[in-house]
Amino acid sequence: METATAAHTEHHPDIHGHEEHHEETFLTKYIFSQDHKMISKQFLITGIFWGIVGGFLSVLFRLQLGWPNETFPFLESLLGKWAEGGKISQEFYYALVTMHGTILVFFVLTGGLSGTFANLLIPYQIGARDMASPFINMLSYWFFLTAGIVMFFSFFIQTGPASGGWTAYPPLNGLRDTSVNLGSGLGFDMWILGMSLFIVSSLLGGLNYIATVLNMRTKGMNMFRLPLTIWALMFTAVIGVLSFPALLAGCVLLEFDRLLDTSFYLNNIIINGNLLGYKGGSPILFQHLFWFLGHPEVYIIILPAMGLVSEVLSTHSRKPVFGYKAMIFSILAILVLSFIVWAHHMFVTGLNPNLGAVFTLFTLLIAIPSAIKVFNWIGTIWRGKVRLSSANLFAIGFVSMFISGGLTGIILGNSAIDIQLHDTMFVVAHFHIVMGVSAFFGMFAGVYNWFPRLYGKYMNETLGQIHFYGTLIGAYAIFFPMHFMTGLPRRYYTYANFETFNNFNFLAEFISIAAIIVFLVQIVFVVNFFYSIFKGRNVEVQKTVDGHAYGNPWGTTTMEWTSPIERLHGNWPGDIPTIHRWPYDYSVNGREYIPQTEPLKPGEVPHE
Amino acid sequence: MVAFLTFAIVVLLFVVLVLIARAQELTADLKDGKVSFHNQSKWNGYFLLGFLVFMFVGSAMCFKILGPVMLPIAASEHGVKTDFLFNTTMLIIGIVFVLTQIALFYFAYRYNESKGHEAYYYPHNNTLEVVWTVIPTIVLTGLIAMGMYEWMHIFDPEARNKKMMVIEATGKQFNWMIRYSGKDGKFGERIIDQAHVSPTNELGINWEDPKSHDDFMADKLYLVKNKPVLMKLGAQDVLHSFFLPHFRVKMDCVPGIPTEFYFTPTKTTEEMRTYLSTQPWWQTINPETGQPRWQTFKYELACAELCGKSHFGMQRDVVVVEQKEYDEWLAKQTPIYVAPAAEATSVEVTTDSTNTEVKKPTAMLGKK
Repeated sequence: METATAAHTEHHPDIHGHEEHHEETFLTKYIFSQDHKMISKQFLITGIFWGIVGGFLSVLFRLQLGWPNETFPFLESLLGKWAEGGKISQEFYYALVTMHGTILVFFVLTGGLSGTFANLLIPYQIGARDMASPFINMLSYWFFLTAGIVMFFSFFIQTGPASGGWTAYPPLNGLRDTSVNLGSGLGFDMWILGMSLFIVSSLLGGLNYIATVLNMRTKGMNMFRLPLTIWALMFTAVIGVLSFPALLAGCVLLEFDRLLDTSFYLNNIIINGNLLGYKGGSPILFQHLFWFLGHPEVYIIILPAMGLVSEVLSTHSRKPVFGYKAMIFSILAILVLSFIVWAHHMFVTGLNPNLGAVFTLFTLLIAIPSAIKVFNWIGTIWRGKVRLSSANLFAIGFVSMFISGGLTGIILGNSAIDIQLHDTMFVVAHFHIVMGVSAFFGMFAGVYNWFPRLYGKYMNETLGQIHFYGTLIGAYAIFFPMHFMTGLPRRYYTYANFETFNNFNFLAEFISIAAIIVFLVQIVFVVNFFYSIFKGRNVEVQKTVDGHAYGNPWGTTTMEWTSPIERLHGNWPGDIPTIHRWPYDYSVNGREYIPQTEPLKPGEVPHE
Repeated sequence: MVAFLTFAIVVLLFVVLVLIARAQELTADLKDGKVSFHNQSKWNGYFLLGFLVFMFVGSAMCFKILGPVMLPIAASEHGVKTDFLFNTTMLIIGIVFVLTQIALFYFAYRYNESKGHEAYYYPHNNTLEVVWTVIPTIVLTGLIAMGMYEWMHIFDPEARNKKMMVIEATGKQFNWMIRYSGKDGKFGERIIDQAHVSPTNELGINWEDPKSHDDFMADKLYLVKNKPVLMKLGAQDVLHSFFLPHFRVKMDCVPGIPTEFYFTPTKTTEEMRTYLSTQPWWQTINPETGQPRWQTFKYELACAELCGKSHFGMQRDVVVVEQKEYDEWLAKQTPIYVAPAAEATSVEVTTDSTNTEVKKPTAMLGKK
């Protein structure tokens, strides 16, 4: 390891001089860029696009859920045959729900979140000129974009996009016969193609992140001097690399069933009294393959957010993260446990009850590392000097959301209680808070905090704080009351057919109003983002060396601000700095913060 | 026009916001060329405290207004026990919720930078960390043990009463086929092959089997109070899930793989209505029917696994009665089997699987 990093630093000092001879065209700089910072921006902006699309889809189906008896004429002008007479059709309702889940889970909170921050922070915070393979990194983005384009186009085909749920369970999605299996036509084939491309993107990116963190750390940056962001992003990539292939295999077999009439997931299917020729498959097999990714996937979403939040809370509290090593080992514990809890999504599939008991055990165990992390975050704020900027507000909001959503997981993970709660609105409330809203809060904390690193400018604080309070209050208003719809099955177009479920219309309406408001509040963020790119306040210059301006907007110890404010190709104009201490020397030795690159004073004992 | 106006107002609002934001930037609190967060931290500290209060008031209101209807009232033996587990867990997590949220928001307020103090370097404390690892571990162990015990009991074949009734329910798009074994208490055999399954015999019942001759299909699920029942579940086309919210019963119906669920109903429909008539929430008028809610109360069967565009329509009534009433109902049912002589004149009845607004499905097996 030592030799690898040494060789690396020796090799690179000339990169800057060399680079100046390059003619960068618009195409190589902005489009087919291999620079980690540009790729990070590409992921972020694509992610924002998908975030708006995914959020807008939820506004559409919330209209149906909130006002099942009303018609909205503008929907017909917008959606045409999918909303004849201003009422969203059943097929399209299910398509909206399916695509909302797919887009937000994969394209925003996986691709958008990991892609943005792994690309931005890994090279900057470990002290590398770029990713291990910038070319593969570029491919990762282009596969991600292509996957998105395929998904997006499925909205514009005659039979509509996939509508069998984001979990894509066969046999509903395993047969191409659209007369019985709705929305499983071409739209779902495109879904599989899009997902496959997405998985390729995720694997290319993930391998690159792991290789970079393990091999390209600068001199002195041993593993226990890595900021928690890097630990989290690396473990996320490990989970992705180990679990995404299972989904790819599952999807390929599913497509075989659809196109080649194989029977991997199909057995004794009877449609209107006609027995089809499928024999011997198991629909449950797909669920195992799907959730073998699907559960780790929620940690792929939440771990980067946790990493970002740890860093933001520490920086803005001017205080080290409480229990740095406990934080690392709890992420490791989550990583390991995340692979052996998947069947808690399948408690009532007829699974062997003994298996259910084992999965209950592991599922509830995962609450322990999660609890440790929460206590450590609260411990980080305690007696800090807390700067309540937008970034830190979102980090605090993240912790609040993660507590609220995580706690209800203790209820759902218990198989005996899950019999009633499985596939009800309680589950919807739980996972939206704990991985949807929380992950968004973590992502926003990250964007507000590292926007200056991406663009050399600050985002606007007033808009940021309006965005924060709107989202915090609104998200709680949507999802807290939703827990009380404990008996209502999810994925219902209307509850009118049921006496039992008919009591909650006023609540559904309230939730829909809150959802629309929260969606509008997100537009504030988008406006702020693009406004600040062009008109934002510049990062203050603290010193100028060799014509390069340096700043450190939040007074952070980590390496990213030892690089000039301007985003240079290769990151550092001269040698990459050497690391002398752990990343959380805040408020120590009478100093507000001591950068990782500052050598120890004589007699000073390093924390690591 | 209204849509356009709304749009225009929203756009204007955003413009105003941006202008306010711009003004804030121009008048920013500059200190040594850096924006000071001093004032913002102060105000945000108060706002966060305010939010904490708002959150607790909101949660309390949710519990007050919605608490009584959070879970449908349990009407099965194991349902009461899992509800106890649910409530116990809710209480524990409720306490943790309140304490951690208070700590989080209060610390953010108390230690915000406007208070004029310095941060305290405190990187870790092993004792503290061991304490807050061990306590959750103990609590969770308790919850896991209780949950596992209940779970294993619900699915323990040994614990079943030999005198239980057995009912078969098969899901299809978008309906339930409910088959009773008739007077002999035994189901006719089902054979899933081309020779037996047909549009007039969707379940593939083997009519050669004399046990099939008294089997009948029911349009409502009739259960007997305090009589254990084993539901034999299956599906024809796609995944469905057999969900009886009041009985805490849910089990997926999987094409080609049989599943089952054993439970004991403990309250008849009438008893439940009588009980609900004393509960405040159930006195309110249901706008759909114009009657107090307790009067129209009924147990219901729903589908809980997305099964296609009319997933939400797979409703069936469930009726729990005393044994005597059940026997009377049983006597009135006609078997689906029709003697071969009558075959020529039998009328085919098949399910209309395309009708999506079905409220009272008329699905029946066809007759042989």
